[in-house]
Amino acid sequence: MLESYFIVLMLGVFYGFFVGLIPVAGATTGLIAIYSFVTYFQDPYMLVVFTTAIVVTSSIGDSFCGVVMNIPGAGGAAATMVDGFPMSRRGEAARALSAAISTSWINGLIWGLAVFLFLPWYTQIVLYFGTVEMFSFLIFAMVCVIFVSSKYWFRGLLALILGVLVGRIGMDPVTAADRWTFGWDYLADGVQIIPVMAGLLAVPELFSAYRMKAEKIQLTNGVIMSQLIEGIKDTWRWKWDGLRGGLIGGFVGLVPGIGGAIADWFAYSQTVAVSRKNPDDSEVPVGKGNVRGVIGCEGANNAQKATSYVPTVLFGIPGAPFEVIVMGLLMYVGLELGTPSVLADERFFDVLLSSYLWSLMIILPISYAFIKYAVYITNLPFKFYFWPIFASLVWSSTQYTGLIDDYIMLALCICAGMVMKYFKFSRVSFLIGFILSYRLEASWVQFNSFGYGWEELVFRPLPATFMALTVVALIWGLFFNKAKIDFV
Amino acid sequence: MKIKNLITGAVTALAMTASAAFADITLVVPQKAGQGTTVWAEIIVKELEKHLGERIVLRLIPGARDIPGINKFHNDLRFDENTIVVTHGGNGVSFLQEEVDYNYAEYESIGLMNLNIIAGKRIGDDMSAPRFPAGSGMVPEAFAMTLLLCGPDKTVDEYIECFKENVTWVKGMSGGERRLAFKRGDLNGTRENPATYNKHVVPDENAELWFHHGLLDPATGEHGDDPNFPAGYQVEDLFEAKWGVRPSGEFYDAYKLVKSFRDGLQKAIWINKGNDELRDRLRAAMTAMANDPESMAAIEAKNGKYEWFIGEKGDQMRDTLMTFITEDALRNLVKFNREALGLNSVYKANLVE
Repeated sequence: MLESYFIVLMLGVFYGFFVGLIPVAGATTGLIAIYSFVTYFQDPYMLVVFTTAIVVTSSIGDSFCGVVMNIPGAGGAAATMVDGFPMSRRGEAARALSAAISTSWINGLIWGLAVFLFLPWYTQIVLYFGTVEMFSFLIFAMVCVIFVSSKYWFRGLLALILGVLVGRIGMDPVTAADRWTFGWDYLADGVQIIPVMAGLLAVPELFSAYRMKAEKIQLTNGVIMSQLIEGIKDTWRWKWDGLRGGLIGGFVGLVPGIGGAIADWFAYSQTVAVSRKNPDDSEVPVGKGNVRGVIGCEGANNAQKATSYVPTVLFGIPGAPFEVIVMGLLMYVGLELGTPSVLADERFFDVLLSSYLWSLMIILPISYAFIKYAVYITNLPFKFYFWPIFASLVWSSTQYTGLIDDYIMLALCICAGMVMKYFKFSRVSFLIGFILSYRLEASWVQFNSFGYGWEELVFRPLPATFMALTVVALIWGLFFNKAKIDFV
Repeated sequence: MKIKNLITGAVTALAMTASAAFADITLVVPQKAGQGTTVWAEIIVKELEKHLGERIVLRLIPGARDIPGINKFHNDLRFDENTIVVTHGGNGVSFLQEEVDYNYAEYESIGLMNLNIIAGKRIGDDMSAPRFPAGSGMVPEAFAMTLLLCGPDKTVDEYIECFKENVTWVKGMSGGERRLAFKRGDLNGTRENPATYNKHVVPDENAELWFHHGLLDPATGEHGDDPNFPAGYQVEDLFEAKWGVRPSGEFYDAYKLVKSFRDGLQKAIWINKGNDELRDRLRAAMTAMANDPESMAAIEAKNGKYEWFIGEKGDQMRDTLMTFITEDALRNLVKFNREALGLNSVYKANLVE
């Protein structure tokens, strides 16, 4: 019996890692793809093992796309590539990857233990975070991330506005009517994030790289090993950046409705802010290929995944998009998350905790070992892997309906991405505007529907704290923020 | 190594996508993976396949308010002799007051489950000032609470005013947010289907049953009590207990129209008219499934114990619902949606022609 569990765990680990490597795919796409095979899981706890392994390992696999290929990982997690790819071009891919994996792993361990060992204790935290708290937090997050700007600030601002406008396409939350869909039914559910990520960010980078000559950086096993160790040392050296990212990710995962992509950029923006106070003269600034940029945002992703299990398991309310799929899969085999039967099921919690921890333990050496092969990719002419990556991007982007509309949307996003890259309109700013747009609007609509006013923002303790921090962030962003990222 | 992996992955993915094309039967589902009707369809298909002896593959075509998938079936896929579709109550509501392509009159029923939607409230709250989640569109609960709050013998305009004065209709909330908001007490009322009501509201020590809409009998056209819940909580019963008369009138007719289309067609599987051979096979399999205690136990464990209307009985349900569409009921439905709920509903004259 134990052997069967171990085999399922290993299958989940390798499958999750592989899915994480596929650009813009990630845990949600990977979990959807296993729906067809769910009937093979006769023992429901085996499915718990399998899904947990996928969730844990896919976010570690994510880092490779950003660092090695300048292509975002899943669900908006694009911040890693801003500093990771320039490091890769400098011949420091192994260091960047090592730092990314180590940070992601450590935060996964810390937050995983914090979540699964003390799960029932989080009930009050989740319940405390109401509409006003959510609204004020989103304002704070938005103010922080919009100052992650490129040196072409005016075009960046336009891109941000354009992102907000595109994010408003779809259903109007007030009238439930289609908005700006131009009669195309497909747009009525909003523009999906995967084609935006693939078309706007990934494909233009693929085309650029295709025209570039591969830089023959001599990387011996010894150099790679020393970079790997250097990355681990970086993780320790900049541990507060990583832990801060973990704290942000952990908090975002705990509260349904904020969204993991916000955690990623929010954590990155905080690293940018802090890096100004603690500059390291021997390194390039954050935003131009500094390992701190990688560490800051990588802290958020696994922490967010761990804490998103809290509302999912306790209340049956998905803490993140991939948890919707996990819930559906587990319900299919008779485990309904959030119900008293599961909450009283000690075996379920044992299996969840042990599969989470074992997945983390197994994926670490695999990831470190894989760095060697990933780094060699940087020495290969891009034409060798252009088509497989392009094919995987098309596949990821067309999983929404599988109809011609998916292909048209991807083509439109690619065209937009190419134009924006050529004219240096910040695609990162666009993405931030796009991600925040609907969330902020829905939060504002809720705030208004309840009839709340500024009093709630000022006199409730948590919203008041967020609003005060917002003012500080605004002052910093307008008058003291000098950090600019090279990525456009 | 990586290139091989990517190619292998791409081939596997293509094979999975293509599997729908080579399946015996394709069931179009208008939602994403993990959503309510998709999960329901997976449970039903698993049981139905046992009695059909053929493979049924789900084809998920999501989109806003779950309309594009049904439209796609109507305009294109229904002409494929091996393709059927599942619709849910929201599609029934959209059919009444949105410009959609699909039309139930052009399909035949394989089978449908006549479900109920349950409203819960905070214990002890008299619900004189409900704070209720709007959901993604118009919901019959708005009509029900307006009736209960405002009483008999009023015009539609008076009901609209009464709703605006008394109800906090909270928009912009996802399902998860509304459940947390109810647990916190920010909302004092909420709504769930029977399965999610048992999951989210029943275990909540601060929550209790408020009302439900009852179950429609297609033979009589009347709603009866739901045996899954205590007697006396159907809207009509609560109204009579509070106001001394049964609800009636033009506003009540609009409520009856919209609740019947949502709950009567809560989960329904359809096939294009004229596809008699597959229709008969599927109806026979569904009848066998309904008579198989093991299959029904598996389904009821997830969805509650609700009656199935198979084949012609499903058609009868659809035909009964169509008789509720009168010009006044439809106009009042649209008027309330627009003026009380702020929705962009349209009056579809073609439905009453």
